[in-house]
Amino acid sequence: MTERDLVKVADLSRTFDVSRPWLNRVIERREKEFLKAVQNVSFSISKGETFALVGESGSGKSTVAKMVVGLLAASGGNIVIDGVDLGDKKHRARFGALRKRIQMIFQDPFASLNPRWRVGRIIAEPIWAFEKGLSQDGVDGRVGELLSLVGLDPRDAGKFPHEFSGGQRQRICIARALASKPDFIVCDEPTSALDVSVQAQILNLMRDLQDEFGLTYLFISHNLAVVRHMAKRIGVMYLGSLVEVASPRDLFATPKHPYTRMLLDAVPDLEMTGRERMPVLGEIPNPIHPPSGCAFHPRCPFANDRCRAEKPGIHEAAGILTACHAVEEGRI
Amino acid sequence: MTEPVLSVRDLQVEFPTRRGNLRAIDGVSFDIAQGEVLGVVGESGAGKSITGSAIVGLLDPPGRICGGEIRLRGERIDTLAGEAMRRVRGKRIGMIFQDPLTSLNPLYTIGRQLTETIITHLPMSMQQARDRAVQLLEEVGIPGAASRIEAYPHQFSGGMRQRVVIALALAAEPELVIADEPTTALDVSVQAQIIAVLKRLCDERGVAVMLITHDMGVIAETADRVAVMYSGRLAEIGPVREVVKRPHHPYTSGLMGSIPTIEGRAERLVQISGSMPRLDAIPDGCAFHPRCERAFARCHVERPVPESVERSQVACWLYDEETRTLKAAP
Repeated sequence: MTERDLVKVADLSRTFDVSRPWLNRVIERREKEFLKAVQNVSFSISKGETFALVGESGSGKSTVAKMVVGLLAASGGNIVIDGVDLGDKKHRARFGALRKRIQMIFQDPFASLNPRWRVGRIIAEPIWAFEKGLSQDGVDGRVGELLSLVGLDPRDAGKFPHEFSGGQRQRICIARALASKPDFIVCDEPTSALDVSVQAQILNLMRDLQDEFGLTYLFISHNLAVVRHMAKRIGVMYLGSLVEVASPRDLFATPKHPYTRMLLDAVPDLEMTGRERMPVLGEIPNPIHPPSGCAFHPRCPFANDRCRAEKPGIHEAAGILTACHAVEEGRI
Repeated sequence: MTEPVLSVRDLQVEFPTRRGNLRAIDGVSFDIAQGEVLGVVGESGAGKSITGSAIVGLLDPPGRICGGEIRLRGERIDTLAGEAMRRVRGKRIGMIFQDPLTSLNPLYTIGRQLTETIITHLPMSMQQARDRAVQLLEEVGIPGAASRIEAYPHQFSGGMRQRVVIALALAAEPELVIADEPTTALDVSVQAQIIAVLKRLCDERGVAVMLITHDMGVIAETADRVAVMYSGRLAEIGPVREVVKRPHHPYTSGLMGSIPTIEGRAERLVQISGSMPRLDAIPDGCAFHPRCERAFARCHVERPVPESVERSQVACWLYDEETRTLKAAP
């Protein structure tokens, strides 16, 4: 672990128990069933960097985000943020100080704001929670500053969330996330509920704030173009595992893993070059009964017997991490 | 010139409310030729879906068409009464909606839903209809169609369900298919599959398609022509290449610039400040003028109508009336 790493995630796993109720299991003679939402995911994020996780629905990217902010407990592995291990009981005393430095922005700005609270109270809540002893005037002043920071009017503090459009609400969410002066913000699909022109406003705002405050982002998205625009490094997830981690330049110019290639080929192309595409084969398998070996092998044109039997580990070559036997053996 | 499959002229849709009539669609005109895919793009609230609903006569009350006309192969359909319109819908116009789960009946097998549609609109026996249903399911790429015909919608994945919906839309051999955000609820890899199926089938049958979406990428890949909507009006309509590569309307150029692409990393995305006006507060003149960097006096008072610029039609005062080229900045 280098000095600059703010967040270090190692072998993170999460399993959900999706069994039927006990009585059903007894009557229908069913086994307990488990869903491995995240399996052995490792990555680290340096200070001031944006690390992005992309993947399709069900790939486990949001589960990772929830575990990193501590909304979900990990079933295995550990998360170390600025030297504090989130799962280690001995570090519990240092949690409180760490808590205020981690914030989250959610996907749906309609669901993540309390409709019965005024915007001022929504944004002030983290300030009240973390900076006890601040006067009412002091808090109001901070709320006003935060609102102007995200491009809203300080007078908007007296309004209710329903008086704002989707983009403005997402700005309120960002202001709330910034209220506790965090270093690290986890953004779970922050723009996927927004129109493109509003998305551009929010993405630009997030980058400006990053430059101004030296924020570190964990950016979760299903949109490859958005991720390319925002991230310094990108991790591609498939069925709970990281299959490739690379810089945007490498990932988009020379994708290594067959899944990354397929995903890139599937993105509709604004350039209309009419390039040959790799057709998308099959669908994401059921995560409760994932395929043996490499989870991607049933859809992979390069799969062989080894892929069907043995789960590939992460392998590094020229700064690009891939989990693929074919890439490791130099077959593709 | 052959007659277009669909011809919409000066369509107006309004929603009466206590605070007056809200004009959701204002003077929209376009044609779709046989075998052509017209993409309709715009942000939420631009009136794309309402245009689609107005064409098939499924506007939610109290919304109503209050002006203009809609013709299907020259025959007016906006004035048809309930039962007559019902025969056009499904038979001559097929529909595909965003959410495949809500457009299928969860209590019927997909085979029953398909055969019901086929028998209602085509003179076929039960057995013929069933064979045709299997054949349709094979065409949309459902593996093991003959065995899956007895399955219920919940037994299919999202992508497979959307294939069933496409089969259902094409079941009665329609002349026009209206696809309202057909891939928005799907993942990119599934989206690519669905778009490919839709494009192939419509090509094979020469069906005209109105593809409503907010995803410019999908439009660029699929459509022949694009209509860009803003505040219930057409901002620009033209060949897809021209609209995407050399947009004429300032709104279209802003929209195109605001889309991050996978091809390159622009340091900063183009930003259109503000947001689309609410229906009860559409500004005078050009609806886009408060957000337009190039707006001048005329834009504030007089509403532009679509006029030809190169091969497109553009509603913007920046183009000279005589030469139809961009005016020099005043």
